[in-house]
Amino acid sequence: MTKYILKRILRSLVTVVIVFFVVFMLLRFMPLNGYFPDEMVKEADEATRMAYLRNLGLLDHPLVQLGRFVKNLFKGDLGRSITVYPKVPIATLLVEKIPVTAFLGFWSMLLGIVAGLSMGLMMVRFRSRIGDTLGNGYIMFVRAVPSLLYLFFIQIQISKWFNLPLVYYDDKPLSWILPIVSLALSSIAWYALWLRRFMVDEENQDYVKFATVKGLPKKQVLKKHVFRNAIIPLSAYLPSDLLNIISGSLVIETLYAIPGTGGLLTTAIKNQDNNLVQILVLMYAVVSILGVFLGDLLLAFVDPRIKLTDD
Amino acid sequence: MKKKLKSMEPADNSAVLSDDPAAQEEADLLRAYEQEIFARSEKHHNGPLLLSARDVVVRFNLRGQELTAIRSTSLDVYEGETLAIVGESGSGKSVFTKTFIGMLDKNGRIDGGELFFHGEDMAKYTTEEQWLKVRGKKIAMVFQDPMTSLNPVRTIGEQIAEVIMWHFGKSHEEAKAETIELLKKVGIHDPEKRYKQYPGEFSGGMRQRVVIATAIACRPEILICDEPTTALDVTVQAQVLDLIKSLQKELKMSVVFITHDLGVVANIADWVAVMYAGKIVEYGTANEIFKSPEHPYTKALLRSLPQLGTKGHDLYSIQGTPPSLFKQITGDAFAPRNTDAMKIDFEEEPPVFPVTDTHWARTWLLSPQAESYRASLLARDAEQQKNAVPETPFDYTNAEKLITVRDLTVRFKMGGSTFKAVNGVSFDIFKGETLSLVGESGSGKTTIGRAIMRIYTGNVGGEVTFKGSKITGKLSRQDKKKLHMEMQMIFQDPMASLNERAKVDYIISEGLYNYHLYESEEDRVAKVENILTEVGLTSEFISRFPHEFSGGQRQRIGIARSLVMNPDFLVADEPISALDVSIRAQVINLLNKMKKERSLTYLFIAHDLSAVRFISDRIAVIHKGHLVELAPCEELFAHPLHPYTKALLSAVPYPDPDSERNKVLIPYDPAMHDYSSDKPVWTEITPGHFIYGNTKELEGYRREAEA
Amino acid sequence: MNLPENKLRTLQKSLEKDPALFTPAAFSLAESEKTGASNYSYWKSTLRTFFRSKSVVVLCAVVAAILVMSFLYPLFSSVDPTKVSINPLDWNHRPSLEHPFGTDGLGRDIFARAWYGCRNSFILAFCIALSDVGIGMIMGALWGYNKKLDPIMIEIYNIMTNVPSTVYLVLLAYIMNTSYLTLFISMASRGWIVEARFFRNRILSIRDAEYNIASQCLGTPMRRIATRNIIPHIISLIIMEAALCIPYSIGSEVFLGFVGVGMPVDAITLGNMVNHGRASFTLHPYQMLLPAAVLCIITIAFYFLGNKFADASDPRNHV
Repeated sequence: MTKYILKRILRSLVTVVIVFFVVFMLLRFMPLNGYFPDEMVKEADEATRMAYLRNLGLLDHPLVQLGRFVKNLFKGDLGRSITVYPKVPIATLLVEKIPVTAFLGFWSMLLGIVAGLSMGLMMVRFRSRIGDTLGNGYIMFVRAVPSLLYLFFIQIQISKWFNLPLVYYDDKPLSWILPIVSLALSSIAWYALWLRRFMVDEENQDYVKFATVKGLPKKQVLKKHVFRNAIIPLSAYLPSDLLNIISGSLVIETLYAIPGTGGLLTTAIKNQDNNLVQILVLMYAVVSILGVFLGDLLLAFVDPRIKLTDD
Repeated sequence: MKKKLKSMEPADNSAVLSDDPAAQEEADLLRAYEQEIFARSEKHHNGPLLLSARDVVVRFNLRGQELTAIRSTSLDVYEGETLAIVGESGSGKSVFTKTFIGMLDKNGRIDGGELFFHGEDMAKYTTEEQWLKVRGKKIAMVFQDPMTSLNPVRTIGEQIAEVIMWHFGKSHEEAKAETIELLKKVGIHDPEKRYKQYPGEFSGGMRQRVVIATAIACRPEILICDEPTTALDVTVQAQVLDLIKSLQKELKMSVVFITHDLGVVANIADWVAVMYAGKIVEYGTANEIFKSPEHPYTKALLRSLPQLGTKGHDLYSIQGTPPSLFKQITGDAFAPRNTDAMKIDFEEEPPVFPVTDTHWARTWLLSPQAESYRASLLARDAEQQKNAVPETPFDYTNAEKLITVRDLTVRFKMGGSTFKAVNGVSFDIFKGETLSLVGESGSGKTTIGRAIMRIYTGNVGGEVTFKGSKITGKLSRQDKKKLHMEMQMIFQDPMASLNERAKVDYIISEGLYNYHLYESEEDRVAKVENILTEVGLTSEFISRFPHEFSGGQRQRIGIARSLVMNPDFLVADEPISALDVSIRAQVINLLNKMKKERSLTYLFIAHDLSAVRFISDRIAVIHKGHLVELAPCEELFAHPLHPYTKALLSAVPYPDPDSERNKVLIPYDPAMHDYSSDKPVWTEITPGHFIYGNTKELEGYRREAEA
Repeated sequence: MNLPENKLRTLQKSLEKDPALFTPAAFSLAESEKTGASNYSYWKSTLRTFFRSKSVVVLCAVVAAILVMSFLYPLFSSVDPTKVSINPLDWNHRPSLEHPFGTDGLGRDIFARAWYGCRNSFILAFCIALSDVGIGMIMGALWGYNKKLDPIMIEIYNIMTNVPSTVYLVLLAYIMNTSYLTLFISMASRGWIVEARFFRNRILSIRDAEYNIASQCLGTPMRRIATRNIIPHIISLIIMEAALCIPYSIGSEVFLGFVGVGMPVDAITLGNMVNHGRASFTLHPYQMLLPAAVLCIITIAFYFLGNKFADASDPRNHV
């Protein structure tokens, strides 16, 4: 078991280093305009601009830049925002914004798991009946239609029907409902889809038939054998849900003007704020890898076979 | 008259409805007569009647077609004895017993008949609650594959204890104590520790013991065992059979044992029911069925066993393939495959005819009207058996070596580590002989075959030569081509070895295409058609997909695919083990015929020693990657030396209840060899008899061989 | 036998048959070999199963109609989708006979724009599907057949899929100038690896099948193994994956447009139309709803058909 965990930690570290390197190198190709504060773009001549860039170290060899960046990173210096919040240290911005995104993400994920699993269970229970059909319809809709369309519709129309605020307010819990629900929609579909599929797969296994032959009631067989085993492949997919939530938060936070990191990334891109884009992209990459790692840990926790094979 | 009989044919429908009161009366009479015959055996059973199935019909809906899996069949299960149901795949033996426990697949239903158990008709059960009173508690079941019948992510203790807790409402602690007792009872050592382990930590045989422990946890009255040993190795199979027998006696349960293996039946059964095409065609005590079978199918099945064949002669083989149950079957379902069928067998379904009080069969041969014909058949069979003289064994004095294998080692990567599936194996194959490689699953026998065929190359050590030239390692394109033309392979699983998306024409022509071994398109087609006829299939099959064929037919297509290349040497990798009993003899005969006609040499890989004895000239026994013994066939059976060979031979089931009942298993424990300092070597101990052992062991073997 | 005498006699009589029937019958080998399997062809059964569902037939017709419209409308219609009107009276027309989908804030005909947009989005989606599935299949086959590629490919896969797809798309689109090519590169550079892994797993299970080993023993060259043994078994997966690429690429385009790194403003794509329509949604909802409806029909249809086809291509579901 410890060997398994160590192996996974090592693997995640390697991935983090590679991803970090690749993304950092890609970011060297960012439009140069993104390094200038607004007023300079219009006014300064070519020579001043180059001098400005050289001054910032942006004309150095990318590896030198990477070294400097990493060194600063360990000092806690993430650089400063350029156009979105001119001259504000990015670290300060993140400290302010990460909790908002984390809060939203946490509740959406929870909602996604609870509602998604219940929906999946319902679909298995009423297989080939109306509940199953409705569930499948929902899953198909959420997965096929571009999320922006229904998210926008929810913001404009559903808010009217339930008389909910159109945008997010820090101090109005009522205004948190729509963003959290919207963010959870695709997770719900996702959990329901896979739980149903895995449970149907499990139901055809011999040991489920054997459990029935043992004389256990259907409910107990479903709970202790079918559901218990379907959870294993599902938990291997859990990190993908985190990626789902991250992707969704870019749209949701922009739509509802939520002061989180997702909204910040879209604003930074629209305003061409290179420093901010760089930090945010790297942060998302690292968070995702962390998520994948946690998923592996969870898998080891629910699947005893991993302990057996790896020791 | 004929019309009336048809209308009461239960296969049409169990509820006989007729406008004609006379026909109705006749039908009732016939039913009463059958009941009477079934009841005759009652006083010969050990205990009272437990379960009584009457005229059960089971239908399945498959791809919009209706399949009648059970065609109105009746069976009685008495207390405290073992009843074996024998039949090949698709005969309905498994489906039939599944109705006893309400486990038919969703697309199947009981379409008639009654299932009386404790005064209730279980065929009328509709709700889960009704079945919960029976399942596990009164009737329990053991499945075929122990690797899949236990939940891999829950401890085996929990899986047994949950049954006890649910059925007896016991607390967790009590259930645990009882589970440990059960584990002890089924022969699992250190049960306290084993309780907390997962199925992955158990071997196949141990898992089947756990499954059996689960099944008997509630002291069921009937234990249904659905081919419980088919997936196990011979030595393990013998142990599990012993366990089932002793538990049956100890708990005084009834065991309904489903199998296709007549050797197993002889070992375990008190009573035998033979099933064919959804119907029980013969019923009797084990001795009666084995010693004096009456139904043509039972007779043919027994006669086609390789144990009863004479070397060098064709095995008696059953022609054709089992019938499709999608169609209405008229008369005796076996008639189309029965070369001695009478006209009436095609016309009318035979009723039950009693032989003795305990023995009946559904065949017109037992009708008083067929008496003279039956006598003539018996006389002919006796004559045939008398005349068979075994051929002289293969003469090795001037034999030419076709293949030499020296120190062959095959390594596989598993996770991080490598292991040797084959470990330093050396042997020769002589031109014209059949050398059999026998071992249990995972012993490396298939790997040897594949290494010789160059399917594995990079991980192979040692040297293989063919006709004097080395064929391991890198080869030129020309050499490879030559090898492909001279060496071919036949595979185990006829379902997996044919490309489902290609027509028979392409499958057989594949090798011809590769090396352009034909002059024109007509020539190619002619070659394909010829080889098809040679393997006993008609040339119209050429434009069909493999999907349309039965297992035996597919295997013959696979043989045709290899033979069309005109090879000198064939590796036959378990070519009959996936086939039905009634088909095996056909394929064995075909292989022998081809060997004679084309002077082939075979490397025959198998785990079934009975077929091996019939087909091979020499036998090599392999255990965990090492060859342990190699000797001419009869020599090996007469004087086995290696303890593993002895264990293997003692475990082989033989289709004779008398010898099976008195059989003594010789256990084998690899720990008995002490190879720590004295290393074992592969030695020719007497001419032609090789054995694996260290100096001390060899001395013992030598003494034994001389004695 | 404890039946009354008369009944016993009736019974015996009924068991008595014409003696001529108790003579040997002719044996026919062909009769004994009958298996009763129907004339079965994998593709025929797949198509039959696929088209058995009414909704599949309807959606196929809808997709065909939309495809025909998107590729023929730009050829035969005289309406210029980029024609801007300076006359404010032509702006923001509600749907009418003249402008079935109305006009937008610059007086451009939305109906015409919708079909041009469909065409452009389709071309983009087809290119992406082609490259994802094409490259993915080839790489998947190499990966499946060559164990040495394992560590490299797994690492590429981990890197590509550990970064959320949207973040990846945004990053690439941000670095490059927005154009069709940019969009294509950012989507195609990631899609292939997911497909490659999918195909690799399928090919691994096919590779070790006995019929493939049989081909090896017969010396079948790699090329024929690929065309006869492997592709026929995965072609249905290829079709399904290609169909599912289309809703994915259209969705990504809409998303990138929303984030602000999508297509140039003057390019006519469904994504751009939806994003523009969003701005004026409260005043002129039809400007967004109508193109969005076309878009939804396309994505849902392809998603549904792709999944249904996957079901139909599984022999277990064949009728």
